[in-house]
Amino acid sequence: MELIILPFIFALIALLTPKALMRAFTLVAAAASVVLVLIHACYYYGSDHLVQIFQSNSNSFGFSLNFAYDGISLLMLVLVNVTIALIALANFKSPLAEDRKFVSMLFLMQFALIGVFTAFDGLLFYIFWEITLIPVFLIALWFGAAERKKILIKFFIFTFVGSLAMLLALIGIKQWANSFSYIDLVLANLPIDVAFYVMGGFFIAFAIKIPLIPFHTWQPDTYTVAPTAGTMLLSALMLKMALYGMIRWMIPLAPEALSQFQNPIIYLGIIGVVYTAIIAIRLKDMKRVFAYASISHVGLIAAGIIIFNPDTLGGSLIQMFNHSLVAVGLFLAVEVIERRTQLRDLDQLGGIATQAPKFAFWFAVIGFASVSVPFSSGFIGEFILIKGVYDYNWIWGAIAGLSVILGAVYTLRAYQLSMYGTPKGFDFPDLHWSEWLTFAFISGLVLLLGLYPNLILNFINPSLDQINSLVQSTTLLP
Amino acid sequence: MDALIILFASGILTMFISLLKKPVLSLITASAGLFIAGSLLVLNFDHPLNFIKYEGLIFDSASVLFSLTIVVFTLLLTLSGYAYFSKEKDHTGDYMALMLFSATGALCMVSFSDLFMFFIGLEILSIPVYVLAGTKKKDLRSTEASIKYFFTGAFATGVLLFGIAMIYGATGTFKIAEIEAFINTNDTLPSFLHVGILLMLASFLFKVGAVPFHFWSPDVYEGSPSVMTGYMAAVVKFAGFIAFFKLFSVAFGGASDYWAPILIVVAIASMFLGNLSAIQQTQFKRLIAYSSITHVGYALLAILSFNSLLNVQSLWIYLFSYGFSIVVLLSVSMLIKQEDDSIASLKGLARKYPFIGFVAILALLSMAGIPPLFGFFGKYMVFSRAFGAYPMLVIIAIINSGIGIYYYLRTIIVMLSENDQESMIKTPHVLHYLVLSICAIALMVGGFVFV
Repeated sequence: MELIILPFIFALIALLTPKALMRAFTLVAAAASVVLVLIHACYYYGSDHLVQIFQSNSNSFGFSLNFAYDGISLLMLVLVNVTIALIALANFKSPLAEDRKFVSMLFLMQFALIGVFTAFDGLLFYIFWEITLIPVFLIALWFGAAERKKILIKFFIFTFVGSLAMLLALIGIKQWANSFSYIDLVLANLPIDVAFYVMGGFFIAFAIKIPLIPFHTWQPDTYTVAPTAGTMLLSALMLKMALYGMIRWMIPLAPEALSQFQNPIIYLGIIGVVYTAIIAIRLKDMKRVFAYASISHVGLIAAGIIIFNPDTLGGSLIQMFNHSLVAVGLFLAVEVIERRTQLRDLDQLGGIATQAPKFAFWFAVIGFASVSVPFSSGFIGEFILIKGVYDYNWIWGAIAGLSVILGAVYTLRAYQLSMYGTPKGFDFPDLHWSEWLTFAFISGLVLLLGLYPNLILNFINPSLDQINSLVQSTTLLP
Repeated sequence: MDALIILFASGILTMFISLLKKPVLSLITASAGLFIAGSLLVLNFDHPLNFIKYEGLIFDSASVLFSLTIVVFTLLLTLSGYAYFSKEKDHTGDYMALMLFSATGALCMVSFSDLFMFFIGLEILSIPVYVLAGTKKKDLRSTEASIKYFFTGAFATGVLLFGIAMIYGATGTFKIAEIEAFINTNDTLPSFLHVGILLMLASFLFKVGAVPFHFWSPDVYEGSPSVMTGYMAAVVKFAGFIAFFKLFSVAFGGASDYWAPILIVVAIASMFLGNLSAIQQTQFKRLIAYSSITHVGYALLAILSFNSLLNVQSLWIYLFSYGFSIVVLLSVSMLIKQEDDSIASLKGLARKYPFIGFVAILALLSMAGIPPLFGFFGKYMVFSRAFGAYPMLVIIAIINSGIGIYYYLRTIIVMLSENDQESMIKTPHVLHYLVLSICAIALMVGGFVFV
């Protein structure tokens, strides 16, 4: 229980902390939650069983406060707490770090995300899913760029309408289940057409959040106007909720309709991979380049999840972990440049490498991780995913393979245009220790997982097998 | 019964106290009366007192719950309206007494067991509200609101009476239970009864402000003083809906084939018209008026899906959560200095008064149905109960929730944005803080406590 409550308490304390102590408080609190989740991972979670955190009686319409975690949830919890700590560290130097509202919203976001990943009750999942929208919206509204209002309304309405579709799916599936508890919902025997609508409702919610083409139109604008910390939250954590939701809720709840959704989602994912990568190659604004890069990466993950065999699921979870780390790194690189020069336009940047060699080195490391060179975790993840798509349908596998090439093009192009060339005459001090440390942590983790992916796989495989057998037993899949 | 008598007695007492021209004393008497009535309702929750020989009003556990709701909202509005009422020292007590009388009528409306008592309750409820709508005597719009509300309301009452007469003619009784038995036992119903149901339906739709009988509500909501707007939206609507449910789901339930299709059309029209008009509004109270038309559309879903008594619970949760939002928003609207209450004048509210801004945002989000706020649970319960019988209607309602988020969000952004001009917000009274804190707690934990 402390795992969930603690960030909420931090969020309240942050409102009372004096400004001078705010930075230290943020780091200590974020580090404390990382330690806590690691303790859970090492000691409480031993095998493949479900660890119940909290359970209340269910009320008149079958809703109960039911928190638990299995391997997948625990992986996501580690991801949330590590990423929140990295975001806190990355923003250590920014003026945001001593703003009460920002720190409070950061921890509120952590609270909501942990709720999403530990909820084992359909309505509870929906509730936390919606709560995540508020802190990220407020962070973007309070600290975002000048032209943010219209874009943020669009963002909110898009995601809210998506969530309403999920609510409808939940109301629908509840007609066939006794309560909202996970096991009841999974065991509900849906007729094929109901299953289609239930999965469709979840799909709309998740497709908007991930985002899959053509539901992505809110994303590049929102990423651009949000402050970098907000962009990190959005890309590193918020869209993981949707990918996690596909594994945990969408497919096991309505596996009867899986075969109808498999092809469309794979097509949308793969088309998105190529389409957004090509857009990213043409763009001038660095933040937008990485925003499109993010869509490109997650499209492949979504395709890997919907193929739904244990291998690709493992690959997609590794890739989710990797994507979060790399997204924080890339957006931090943008932030580092923007803090010093107030510029993001690739045409106006250049020659930074000579002035800031340390930054050039670490940016390159993160860039390579994003391109997924061997020995980085991205390589393992992307390899498994592309192989999975290839086995499913070799033509689409070949198209998905393009993502590796195109990814290298847009990442290295952004790197080259900003770091090399003639210096454009601005002063560029090298990395602050907090920025340096963030890059180092990210690179270390990426390398570690690249060399020894079993660290994650051993963790999640029992839970994946469980979900897989649940789905296999209720569906006609081969 | 005890609460009813206490409310009425404290209303009379407040009128005499008001002769002393000390607003504080009136406030104390009125709120003490409401408080005692509320506590009696809580204490005797399981064994409510009833009249010994009279059966027109029956207090069972459901009607005690509804009475408690009415008392709570009236108390909150009396407290937050004190700053406004006490501006005219001579009349503070009169206004409060009228509110108490009106609440007495509302209590009758949620516990009646024959049409006769229902009609009397409705009139006791309505007449003080007609008067109170016009209390801003120097403001032409307030007078207009009062007259408009009175004329249209009187007309609707006439229609209602005609409907009751028809039903009496068809069934030969005023009692709800006997009407229900009559409808359930007779295979062919007299056309008299159908006409009567239709007329009553029209007047109910008028009272709750559903399309196409909604034309009065934006003008009346805008012109009336904010506290009365809150009273109309929270208490009058609540009492109206509960009576609506009692009559149509219980008494006329057997004839639902006849009135349900009409109600479906009305519900869909209310949702869309309310939402699409609300998007255009620039005045805060008109926005609330149109959004409340939409909420009427949602609440009608609960009346349509009456297959079990649980529906009255979902309707209650829905209106209870909605009432708290209304109390908050109208209390905020009382704080606007300007006479025309444009949404733009709320600019910078959350920056100048963070607590009030926070509660106002909670209220708006709760109305929009964002979990974990109370409003979400109300909406969820109504929608999920209606889903079995009317899936398409629920889908339309959910689409409308999606439309509605736009204007709520726009208002929230106005409240959060920085104000570069002179602030339009008055300094809040200490009672405002009290009321808003109670509402904030209710909005945040209500969904987990009451459901």
